[in-house]
Amino acid sequence: MSDKNNKIPFNEDNYTHNINRNNERKLDRRGFMKTLVGAAGVFAVSSLPWGVMAAKELNRLGDKKYPKHKIADLDKVPVGDAVDFHFPGEHDSAILIRLSEKKFVAYQNACTHLRCPVFWQKDEGEMLCPCHHGKFDVETGAPIAGPPRRPLPEIHVKVENGAVYAVGVKRYEA
Amino acid sequence: MKRSYIPVGLLLVVLMLNIIFTQYMVHQYFYENYTNTIIAAVVNVLLFPVAFIIYKKGVNVND
Ligand code: FES
Repeated sequence: MSDKNNKIPFNEDNYTHNINRNNERKLDRRGFMKTLVGAAGVFAVSSLPWGVMAAKELNRLGDKKYPKHKIADLDKVPVGDAVDFHFPGEHDSAILIRLSEKKFVAYQNACTHLRCPVFWQKDEGEMLCPCHHGKFDVETGAPIAGPPRRPLPEIHVKVENGAVYAVGVKRYEA
Repeated sequence: MKRSYIPVGLLLVVLMLNIIFTQYMVHQYFYENYTNTIIAAVVNVLLFPVAFIIYKKGVNVND
């Protein structure tokens, strides 16, 4: 090794000799453990926003009041039809379905798999997510097929003076 | 001393726990069980120093 390096140019049949550094490109036990510790660090850091969001929700949970929101006039929604609306915020898309003369159901329609908009299939009588073919039960919002595991959040509706109003979002039973 | 792979195994266990708690945290968040979300997040954060300690103890053994 030592006498080899003193010859200029030393005869080595290797044009890339100058990239040989100590332990470069070697994943030894120590390097692997470093990677694992780094991964733990990434997990820790990425948990923080969730904790913060949860803490915020927890703080204002008690006085969570929803503004009453008019969805549609009764005569604009024939039985079996659906209308889209937004509730409680303007970015929370939701869907109202008229199941019968008296019966309305409403859900936040961001799919519980990856948040694609779920729509109402009148002929099949189920709600379908176009992205990966997730299906939801209209009566309860429960997932019945495909990837979603969590029911759609149900919105409480009220019929008043010939119009339908959204009045709140149902909490999941813990 | 002979090198030991026990710390490596322990770190892999930590990584597994990280994955489990992250999954749990996200799901509990959407289920609106915010207390559970916070617990999972805290566990995830605490796992980092644990990993670091395991590493510190582990590298001193010859490798
Ligand atoms: S986003 Fe709805 S099934 Fe995947």
